[in-house]
Amino acid sequence: MSDTKALLFDLCAAHAVSGMEHAAAKRIAAHLTPYCGVTIDKLGNIIGTKEGAGHHVLLDAHLDQIGMIVTGHEPNGFLRVAKCGSMDLRVLCAAEVSIHCADQTYYGVVPASAPHLNDDAADIVPDWADVLVDTGLTQEEAERDIPLGTRVTLRQSAMELGEDRVTGAALDNRAGVACVLRCLELLEGEPTCKITVCFSAQEETGGDGAMVAGFEAQPDSAVTVDVSFAQSPGISPHEAQGKLGGGTMIGVSPRLSSEISDMLTKLARRDDIPYQMEIMGGRTGTNADLFQHAGRGIPCGLLSIPLRNMHTAVELADLDDIEATAQLLAAYVRERSHA
Amino acid sequence: MNLDILRHLCALSGVSGQEDAVRGAIIEALPDGARYIVDRLGNLIVTKDAREPKPQKHTALFAHMDEVGMIVTHVAPGGFLLFSHVGGIDRRAYLGKRVFVGKNEIAGVIGVKPVHLLDDGEKRKTPKSDALCIDIGARSDVEAAERVQLGDRVCFAPHFKTFGDGFVKAKAIDDRVGCAILLDLLQQDLPYAMTAVFSCQEEVGGAAGAAAFALVPDYAIVVETTTANDLPGVDGAKRVCALGGGAVVPFMDRGTVYPMELYMRTMALAAAHGIPAQTKTMIAGGNDARVIHTGGCGVPTLAISVPCRYLHSPSVVMQISDAEAAQSLIYHVWEELCHP
Repeated sequence: MSDTKALLFDLCAAHAVSGMEHAAAKRIAAHLTPYCGVTIDKLGNIIGTKEGAGHHVLLDAHLDQIGMIVTGHEPNGFLRVAKCGSMDLRVLCAAEVSIHCADQTYYGVVPASAPHLNDDAADIVPDWADVLVDTGLTQEEAERDIPLGTRVTLRQSAMELGEDRVTGAALDNRAGVACVLRCLELLEGEPTCKITVCFSAQEETGGDGAMVAGFEAQPDSAVTVDVSFAQSPGISPHEAQGKLGGGTMIGVSPRLSSEISDMLTKLARRDDIPYQMEIMGGRTGTNADLFQHAGRGIPCGLLSIPLRNMHTAVELADLDDIEATAQLLAAYVRERSHA
Repeated sequence: MNLDILRHLCALSGVSGQEDAVRGAIIEALPDGARYIVDRLGNLIVTKDAREPKPQKHTALFAHMDEVGMIVTHVAPGGFLLFSHVGGIDRRAYLGKRVFVGKNEIAGVIGVKPVHLLDDGEKRKTPKSDALCIDIGARSDVEAAERVQLGDRVCFAPHFKTFGDGFVKAKAIDDRVGCAILLDLLQQDLPYAMTAVFSCQEEVGGAAGAAAFALVPDYAIVVETTTANDLPGVDGAKRVCALGGGAVVPFMDRGTVYPMELYMRTMALAAAHGIPAQTKTMIAGGNDARVIHTGGCGVPTLAISVPCRYLHSPSVVMQISDAEAAQSLIYHVWEELCHP
């Protein structure tokens, strides 16, 4: 358990804003190489392959994270930025950011207007056109060292919160990556069916990585591991079905394979793995939607880790839910291996 | 500027009314030969004697120890903490931030409803303060109540960072940089006895008035921070003052009209010594000068500030050269006021 926490914290320390996953590929792939052969495909997906007989299962967790992208330079070293993935404008006031250039990471602060000047402004969420990053550089230095297109992340290292909970900026979806790695650890030494691991790129900007990874692997089934909404004050149970600490969330949706959803539920019951159901009327909003239509089509299941404050620097998850998700994922692979 | 002292002071929690940790650290850092008392309201009054102990005019220096923050008002079901603000905070600055609760510095976060679940109206509007809560990772209100208590102060998680061309980012630079400047001045070999007041509760009204009443100095100099609004797209007077422009000397703010004579003398001294200085081009903000200059029978008071961006947020930004200019100007003005 504490090992999973250390693993998760290391994964969160990597920076992989959509389209720039290669910056984190080495660090994340290093965790996968003990279990299988690893390659990186044309779109930046990290693919692991573990040979086996019979069924071919693909285990997916997206690697990328939301962020921002530099779109302009202003006087006194201020940058203009746009969102890369669905970044929440409301959490940018006075946020610290990291600016990821090829050779160096720069530090920046998103301005906050002082309450001394405009008392009424606090209600207003700015437009992206008004969002700046203060680098403390001169305009000349910023133009020379921080090219347009540079990715920017909210700067927040992961930490423990209370006894079994963790908070940080990229738990979406390093928590999912950690689950898949923990699942491989649980299966170590066991003969299994063929497993393709996909730490996929560009989920936050549409799922393009999953689309090509699914086509390339053509597995018999796939399970996507992602985060989903956990309840917290001000959110109705209809909007967020997950309970933090309530176990892994088994997805049920017309877009998912009913057979896999049922199998996951039975396995969770059989093995006493804490679980809860997540019922969706159509799109799941995850890579599962893309795998379903990849190549000749892939029956897909979805396991989610309940997460509070998604797409902020204070995402919050429960380590017990991560463990339950890994356990159920391993049970699924074993079931396919024995079939 | 002693950045180690500034870093140390900014890391401490000192939300108004609970300045103990900051006061303790300042006492710890006082030079040999400095004497101090802590008055009834918690103000720390330091005196350091010198070769010529009695200046012609007693000129006291003031910096406040407290910072803006929050206070826990209720533990809600599920273990979430409700809170009220202490001092003026733009509530946008709360969203998605890490905080420390109480003297045991229990870590927590201020979350928001995920952006995916917002309707168009919610996307355009900041959540109301009473809709926000602090999540300390507790699984129940019982667990939360074991770790925090009502009335606990909450500060933004400290993260001190130097960046760019001589910039510093931290919480509570307002007014730990003032405290750091006074500590640095007290370390020096001074020509006259110096009185430095490290005051409480500036952000909620100012306990410094009691110290001014007790000391009845001839002059007071408030060592502060002030809002710089020098952002792209902001022109002219609305910039207020600018980082890199040196010490800020106001002639008036929303708390105080300063004696014109002191303002003019200070600007002249800055020019004479080649110290970068600027004034504020908007009547904005306010500080302890308001309660100090009405202390006792009245104390002619001057403010000299370090210009800061994003005041009262977790990410206040200042430029080191401005703090150095402010310190240098404060010293020269103090010396001249002591012995005209």
